[in-house]
Amino acid sequence: MLVFLFRRLLLAIPVVLLVTVMVFSLLHMLPGDPATVILGQEATPEAVEALREELGLNKPIILQYLYWLGGVLQGNLGRSLVDHTPVSDLILQRLPATLELTIGTFIVAILIAVPTGILSATRPGSWADYLSTTFALGGMSIPHFWLGMMFIVLFAVRLGWLPASGYVPFFENPVANLAAMIMPMVATGLRESAILMRMIRSSLLEVMQADYIRTAYSKGLKDRAVILHHAFKNALVPVVTTSGLIVAGLLGGLVITESIFSIPGFGRLIVESIYNRDFVTVQGAILVSALLVVVVNLVVDLLYAVIDPRIKVGKGADV
Amino acid sequence: MKNMTKSIFTVVLSFLLLLTGCSSGEKTATNEGVSQEKTGGTLNISLDSDPPKLDPSLSTALVDRMVFQSIFDKMVDIDENGEIIPMLAKEWKISEDLRTYTFVLQQGVKFHDGTDFNAEAVKFNFERNMDQGSPRKNELKEVSKVSVVDPYTVQVELKRPFAPFLSILADRAGMMVSPAAVKKYGDDFSNHPVGTGPFVFKERVKGSFITLEKNTNYWKKGMPKLNQIVYKIITDANVALMNLKSGQVDMTNRFPFKEIEKSKNDPNFTVISEPGQGYQGIHLNVSKPPFDRKELRQAVDLLIDRDAIVNVLLSGAGTPAHSPFSPTSFAYGESDRYEKPDLQKARDLLKKAGKPNGFSFTLKIGTSPLNQQVGQMIQTMLKPAGIQVNLEKVEFGTLLDQTQKGNYEAAAIGWSGRPDPDQNIYDFYVTGGPQNYSFYSNAEVDRLLDEARAELDEAKRKTIYDQAMKIINEEVPYIYLYHDHNVFGISKSVDGFQYVPDGLIRTVGISKR
Repeated sequence: MLVFLFRRLLLAIPVVLLVTVMVFSLLHMLPGDPATVILGQEATPEAVEALREELGLNKPIILQYLYWLGGVLQGNLGRSLVDHTPVSDLILQRLPATLELTIGTFIVAILIAVPTGILSATRPGSWADYLSTTFALGGMSIPHFWLGMMFIVLFAVRLGWLPASGYVPFFENPVANLAAMIMPMVATGLRESAILMRMIRSSLLEVMQADYIRTAYSKGLKDRAVILHHAFKNALVPVVTTSGLIVAGLLGGLVITESIFSIPGFGRLIVESIYNRDFVTVQGAILVSALLVVVVNLVVDLLYAVIDPRIKVGKGADV
Repeated sequence: MKNMTKSIFTVVLSFLLLLTGCSSGEKTATNEGVSQEKTGGTLNISLDSDPPKLDPSLSTALVDRMVFQSIFDKMVDIDENGEIIPMLAKEWKISEDLRTYTFVLQQGVKFHDGTDFNAEAVKFNFERNMDQGSPRKNELKEVSKVSVVDPYTVQVELKRPFAPFLSILADRAGMMVSPAAVKKYGDDFSNHPVGTGPFVFKERVKGSFITLEKNTNYWKKGMPKLNQIVYKIITDANVALMNLKSGQVDMTNRFPFKEIEKSKNDPNFTVISEPGQGYQGIHLNVSKPPFDRKELRQAVDLLIDRDAIVNVLLSGAGTPAHSPFSPTSFAYGESDRYEKPDLQKARDLLKKAGKPNGFSFTLKIGTSPLNQQVGQMIQTMLKPAGIQVNLEKVEFGTLLDQTQKGNYEAAAIGWSGRPDPDQNIYDFYVTGGPQNYSFYSNAEVDRLLDEARAELDEAKRKTIYDQAMKIINEEVPYIYLYHDHNVFGISKSVDGFQYVPDGLIRTVGISKR
């Protein structure tokens, strides 16, 4: 197990490095120049040139990259080009909100997807199946930003139950934190639940056809026992894969949710930094984001082994 | 299994109910968290973007200045009528040759870190802003020398008479930051802004909020009235409006145009729509085809129906424009006249330019929905004359870069505006000016603009600007579309708000009911 972990982490290094190289070169292909953006409309050409020199933007890209990488290896992600804040501070400020939102969204998705998925797979063709399939289709088609806005209109403006936006860190005030986070979590979670529910349904339907399910039933086992203990567990592998993808996608992809609900999250940090041509911050943030995705993938792989003992971690070539 | 089905069903059904509940027009009274006291309390202001740099010396964003009003005092300020009034400089004398300004400073003013505000601090700030790395450098380039006469008197010498000088000191270049704090924090000052203003910087979570606390030692007696200001970053104007409606913010610095009419009778808040100092319009690149032909520029200018843009897209929250001078400026008036769209005349111009069947060009626009709508309206307005407009959406950083490099045909870039007319015209048209993205050059215009900035008499200056604008409007290097209005939403629980034409919310005199 440890060997597996170690090997996977080792394999992640080139992946992450490749990501940084790509981000670095793509960012530098962007037409706007950081010095121009920082100095704004009123900038004189001399001032822009002086700032470029000061920021080291006149050096060859390779040198800039190596310099940055050198810093990263020493645990220094550099300082924001815009206001000189250490990038690691910016990331630490923004990451908790996004992690919380990701986890919350995922929990909402699971809470909805598992029961509806099981229901529609065990009663294919029934009206419950049609209803949950329709629900899933709706969940996937209704834009979550629209849903978010509707939530705000209903719960914040009309009913006044929840704050319209704003974020309070969990450890500062858990109640206010949850009040602010519940709407974004549900709005985004509904969409993800739809995807997950469809996955559970199809995977479970397939398993339900298997011989061992028939055997289980013929032994006189109850519905609940067969579905939860035999079928659902075996249906989980593709579901876990999808879940991994969902979580990885959420980590960097919550920009719109974060904007609507004014949550100071990671996605917004990346987008704002791109607008400001704050290359150093974007690079740092994407590096962290890549590392998080690697971790999520690792967790998914480990989960496989827990769910299905036939998949052995660390042994065999196909892991 | 039956039980399970039942419970699952309850869950699904309750969600569906929730969803349908959204669309039903259920009316419930909004609960506002309005406090009763006259002084004290917290004022929540929503800002449409996160201020990038809380350092007046480095700032380039309009939104920074909203927050600056509370943290930093300036040498002088402007009042509701746009007139210059004393602030940290309680009086000043201008020498006969208009080149030397002697400022007498307020005494007993302290920075938030406890250090004294005095002549040395003023000199320090001038020098800091005249440094290469500051965007203020260009504004202060006429300053040749700053000297300390006595601890509370400062003398500033200019290279030549320069009319906008005081106006410049009513903005970022005149904001006084603590020299001790600059030395202490260095590059990190932006995260620890220290001024003499009515509120003290307390905390900031980037992308979320900025909290300021009352400056209990503020030099203006009885001010400020509030205990705390929280600037909340809410990027979506509709979400900001919902926060205003639900009482979570007391003021919004932007208001969705489409909602202005609907909100007129709202019992909980007022909408303020007042002319600002800026303008929106389109740069035409005169250095390359097609807009190196004057007639083509004139034709485009002539075909644009400004009233339609203002009425349809801005719901009236703007003033049609034909000059850089907004209705708040003394230079407004004569120069802002323009012709109604005239298709026949435009066709004649096209014929004269050898393009009787029209031509096509690419108009680069920003990414906001309003940018796009303006672009599409122009597209439609030019079509009857056979002028084909290709819209190209470009993110602002890129747009700035491309226009500065001359890599465009037409580009929609506006200007947030400044109090003095010179600051809205000079750098945009003078040969080689830093904002002359149109690459326009005209010796007579250069001469007039120089003459205007050396003249202190407003009436005389207006005449000179009228002359300059006559030439510029004939040559059309830039198409003025409209002067933006500043549109705020303000809760009725807010007292003492006074609109100032720079569109910045001055929090010092505000209290909450």
